[in-house]
Amino acid sequence: MFLFTARFSLTASETETFSDGLSVERKRVKPILMASNSDMGSADFESLSSTSDVELLKRAWRNEKAAPEILPYEGDLVERAKGQIELVEGNIEDYVENGMDPLVVSLYQMDLDRTQFLLRSYLRVRLLKIEKFMFHTLKSEEAESRLSEQEKVFATKCVADLAKHFEESVLIKLRESYRSVLKQSLISEEDDMVPEPHLDTFVVSRSNSHVTLNLYEEGESHQIVEMYRGDVYFIRYKVAKGAIESGKVDLI
Amino acid sequence: MMYGRKGYQLVKDFASGEKGLLKPFNSKLFDETIEECEQNHGLIQSLITKMQQEGLDVQNNRNADHYGALVHHLSLTRNKRCLMAYVHNRAEIVRDLAWRVGLVLLELPPDIQEKLTALEKDYFKNHSKAIKSYMGKLGIELNVDMVPPKDPYIKIRVVGDIDQGIMMSDKTTNFTRHSMHFLKRTDAEPYIARNQLTYPPCLIGGKI
Repeated sequence: MFLFTARFSLTASETETFSDGLSVERKRVKPILMASNSDMGSADFESLSSTSDVELLKRAWRNEKAAPEILPYEGDLVERAKGQIELVEGNIEDYVENGMDPLVVSLYQMDLDRTQFLLRSYLRVRLLKIEKFMFHTLKSEEAESRLSEQEKVFATKCVADLAKHFEESVLIKLRESYRSVLKQSLISEEDDMVPEPHLDTFVVSRSNSHVTLNLYEEGESHQIVEMYRGDVYFIRYKVAKGAIESGKVDLI
Repeated sequence: MMYGRKGYQLVKDFASGEKGLLKPFNSKLFDETIEECEQNHGLIQSLITKMQQEGLDVQNNRNADHYGALVHHLSLTRNKRCLMAYVHNRAEIVRDLAWRVGLVLLELPPDIQEKLTALEKDYFKNHSKAIKSYMGKLGIELNVDMVPPKDPYIKIRVVGDIDQGIMMSDKTTNFTRHSMHFLKRTDAEPYIARNQLTYPPCLIGGKI
């Protein structure tokens, strides 16, 4: 019933009393929210709760926070989370109007605040990454394809603004052949002034299923690591990248 | 004289500041670095002219003049990188201000405004626009709620001048300086960012 069910240490019977009179929410909110009302075993509950939108959002947020580069945009999840937040906001207003116990209302409010924080923080972490590696983000097709439409607009505007700022502050004062934002000088064959995320950095990861990873890239020596469900590894991001994107491994 | 030193000093000047805080723009060192770039360029040009006058193939000849020009070129690119790094790192702080303190330039604390150059002020305005337009299209405010919420209400003390009452989601009240209130966290956050409200002293030592 709370979006953040796992966070509340309420016993089942307490939860039961809260759910009286919340029929609006019950009808419209997804399975997880009803799970806490039934007599399901804890294993069932766990597997259900790990697929609730809030859990998914928390996972997306954790991965995004820990990964050095931007991850694919969870567009559908964001839309669903937005919808649920609006719904709960409406519910809370109704509770206040109906004179529900203010303490209970404040519990709902707190729960809502946490979900809102997750959503905002998720979107914000992404924008900060775009800002940090803006030239790289638009240069690399792979990175660009991970952005939402609005993030692309944002990235394009960021690049235009910062390039203008560089030009007016520094480049205009240099000679013609040294005026590129992306290159040191005309002689440079590649763009050698573009900051890129460090994919060799180490991350803490936990696997969700049995995964086999090659610790080294092709051409390097060959060593395999097997991760079983629940194993925690400190591993090079580059190596685990594919498994993270397919959801087999989470960052923590 | 050591080529490339000015740029190095410029970057060091930035790095010696406290992390995340702006120092006044070091125009003196900045202009001196630009000046050195100009000298390097002049010297490269005169070396190339010299080689041409000697009838040498400038592209392929590897004599002392060629390597002399190369040294000047390397010094110039190094200085350019330092100049760009200086502006880039300051721009990062400027963006951080937009996120953490506020999107309106004139609402930034005056001591911060003083440290920005005219160009940095423009950059701040442009970047704020980008953030605002993204938030507008998304329909979610992202520059609030910067720390994970623990409690829906927080205790605060008024330390700045707040002309109009704070717009609160429930009702308005009178915020005389030094008065203490118990506010919704989301209502109070923007004012804390602008140093108009603070957490009461008993809380400041602890992690908030």
